[in-house]
Amino acid sequence: MNVRVLLKSLSMPLALALIVAFFALREPAFLGARNLTQLLIEFAIVGTLALGMFMILLTGQIDLSVGSGVGLIGGISAVLIFHHGWSAPAAMGAGLAAAIVLWALMGTLIVRERIPSFIITLGGLLIFKGLFWKVIESSTVPVARGDEDNLLSVLTTYYLPDNGGLGLAAAIALVLGWLAWRARSARMAHNLPVRSAGVEVGVWLAKAAAIVGLVLVCNDFRGVPLSLLILAATAAVVFYLTKHTPFGRYLYAIGGNEEAAVLSGIAVNRVMIGAYVLMGVMVAITGFMMTAYSGASTTTVGELMELDAIAACVIGGTALKGGRGTVWGVLFGALIMTALLNGMTLMAVEPELKMVARGAVLVLAVWLDVRLSRR
Amino acid sequence: MLLETRSLTKRFPGVVALRDVSFGLAAGEIHALCGENGAGKSTLIKLLSGIHPHGSYEGELRVDGKVAEFKSIRDSEAEGIAVITQEFALVDELTVAENIFLGREPRRGLRIDWHTMHRRATELLADFGLPISPDTAVGELGVGHKQLVEIVRAMDKKSRVLVLDEPTAALTEQEVAVLLDHLRRLRAQGTACIYISHKLDEVFAVCDRITVLRDGASIATLAARETAIPQVIKLMVGREITELFPRKATEIAPTAAPVLSVRGLNVAPARGQPAFLRDISFDLRPGEVLGFGGLMGAGRTELLMHLFGAWGTRLAGDVTLRGEAYAKPQPRESIQRGLVLVSEDRRRYGLVLGQDIGFNFSLSSLKCFRRFGGRIDAPAEQVRNQHFFDSLRVKAPGQHARVGGLSGGNQQKVVIGKALMTEPTIVMLDEPTRGIDVGAKLEVYELINRLTAEGKAVILVSSELPELMGMSDRILMLHEGRVGGVFTRAEFTQERLLAAAMGKTEAAA
Repeated sequence: MNVRVLLKSLSMPLALALIVAFFALREPAFLGARNLTQLLIEFAIVGTLALGMFMILLTGQIDLSVGSGVGLIGGISAVLIFHHGWSAPAAMGAGLAAAIVLWALMGTLIVRERIPSFIITLGGLLIFKGLFWKVIESSTVPVARGDEDNLLSVLTTYYLPDNGGLGLAAAIALVLGWLAWRARSARMAHNLPVRSAGVEVGVWLAKAAAIVGLVLVCNDFRGVPLSLLILAATAAVVFYLTKHTPFGRYLYAIGGNEEAAVLSGIAVNRVMIGAYVLMGVMVAITGFMMTAYSGASTTTVGELMELDAIAACVIGGTALKGGRGTVWGVLFGALIMTALLNGMTLMAVEPELKMVARGAVLVLAVWLDVRLSRR
Repeated sequence: MLLETRSLTKRFPGVVALRDVSFGLAAGEIHALCGENGAGKSTLIKLLSGIHPHGSYEGELRVDGKVAEFKSIRDSEAEGIAVITQEFALVDELTVAENIFLGREPRRGLRIDWHTMHRRATELLADFGLPISPDTAVGELGVGHKQLVEIVRAMDKKSRVLVLDEPTAALTEQEVAVLLDHLRRLRAQGTACIYISHKLDEVFAVCDRITVLRDGASIATLAARETAIPQVIKLMVGREITELFPRKATEIAPTAAPVLSVRGLNVAPARGQPAFLRDISFDLRPGEVLGFGGLMGAGRTELLMHLFGAWGTRLAGDVTLRGEAYAKPQPRESIQRGLVLVSEDRRRYGLVLGQDIGFNFSLSSLKCFRRFGGRIDAPAEQVRNQHFFDSLRVKAPGQHARVGGLSGGNQQKVVIGKALMTEPTIVMLDEPTRGIDVGAKLEVYELINRLTAEGKAVILVSSELPELMGMSDRILMLHEGRVGGVFTRAEFTQERLLAAAMGKTEAAA
């Protein structure tokens, strides 16, 4: 029994360690600062999308349209910049607005008309893909005119200067410390048990050390990538929403037992539409980063990303039937997925085999989860 | 002994569910298992049926004197042990006949032999006196009939040991009588039966021996003929219960304005359908317990669900809630206005089983804990949850225990706690004591007294007349969607109430 619990909680770190060890042995460049930075950028892109998917899966729904959405939203912005001479912030604003409208529409259809989300978003997958190719006229649209940089193109090419990264790390560590201290004093004010001050400080030091260590690794190459900061901010928001607000509780409650959620006075429809709108926002952010990472909007941007996002969630312990999962798990799952893809690319594995490996990992992860959850 | 356990001990993390239980079932006897919720009855059954497989417990399980090592339900079924639990194992989309023969369909070659299936199902149903067609989809049946279909299925499996877990919780008295007759007949044919019920009069009506469990231990095994209900209750709770229904009526000023007033209510299940609830009118005053009685299908649950906003389309009538018209009820708005419902089907409508006790307690009240930025004040929430955990005396390791693992009575307390945390004015309790033990029942009754003493109004739905009469200040009997009669405490007699439930108006004096 206890061995199982231990094995279950260790299965993800163990899988990640195995993957990293395998690639590091086969291809030493895998652990080089340059590749690690690259990996972090790819992680940021998949992770952001997976965080949006996470909230959808929590309610017991699914979204298959996000991959096409990533392409479409990035495409809209790129076309507006390159063909119509819009400024990057305006073009991205337009993309974001389009995403919000589209996802609010899908969410509304799902909850008000009671059409299964699988069908609506499967339709979305095709419709958005078609619109995407129409928008970019099935061509390649660069994210910037000429050689100049803009807000869109720098998303995956800007790195914080070394000192800036360290300063930010220090600031984040301080904020974490302050939050921990505040939570602790609030518990004490209510006469609730707290961990000893020593343990608390130790945990904080460990977190601070991890953050600083990450920055130092990044600084070894070019600094902390901007996209990693975007992921961190997104993760912080999703963590706060799911863990500390009624909205997040309701996501879990709806996924756990929708009928009971309705009778408990939860505005189920509003919460679910909210989850889809947030998904739209994540799709837009991911769309910007993914398109910038490709350097241009082309027909293959975002392809199969919905499956990477779902896989990341499931590998990270999110239940497909809803009601169970954590932000940390999702990030872990996204990291495993990214490490796998990155490592295979580095080893120049043929694309056919990459597909097979991606699928196999997903099936393996779910199978392990099912096996270990069984009593 | 047909079935025997020797020194069974079953541990869960942090809890000993069974300790040293010895129990014997002889061929051709009906043996009752009695005990409070959490006493270990369900765990014992799960051991007997192989749900908790051999190796997960200590001690011995013997069938026909030989040690049995069940790995799964299949193994126990192969030995002729059939378990019928409170949760139905029926497929709603299939017909009654298909359900009865599910997994054992009569065949002709590779095909299902529909004719034989239909004929045998018809015979079985007729044999059981069930007035339903074998072609009905099970989803269209009421709870009572579903229960009976499940029993028919088990009996057809030619089981040697029939384990019935609360078989009559949802049955009308007539259906109960039919069931008990069949059990007696099966006993005469040599089938043994383990009968679990909180309804002790049934236990005494049909059982030969009674084994009492308390806190996971077998306290005593008694011959039913040599004991009586009070003695069994005493053994179950370990203390004497002097008063079964301790209703303390509150003084209600006759002039007090009603908190809920219903006039000429007509409700259809859905738009375009004929009214199911018709011409219902009543008043509910603060501090009062208004009982709703009636036979199965009379519309009690539907009426409650409609008032709360979770059922039906209102065709006509007015509802006034705390002085304001309430035309379009919604669960969310009902809760905001101080009207809460504790549903009869707590697992379906009440609980998020995969989450912990605290999560469920505060689910309807999260607004109270909202702070700046929409944040939940977690420590304040935890303190409030603990208050309800303690005051409702939930038996669990703590508020972080998963609700799905609790016993029926403790789950019920969690649903009630969730409703009460919203600080309601009117509490509607639909079968609040169904499937829970005597001790927990008493706690529910005391809670009702406490609520009315605080000036809250309670609507109590119960299928058990003694409970309804014991706890209500007034009783409204429903008959086929209409008010069959309203009675004040002085007018309560079983005969009158039953007559009203069956639509005999002359009794509604």
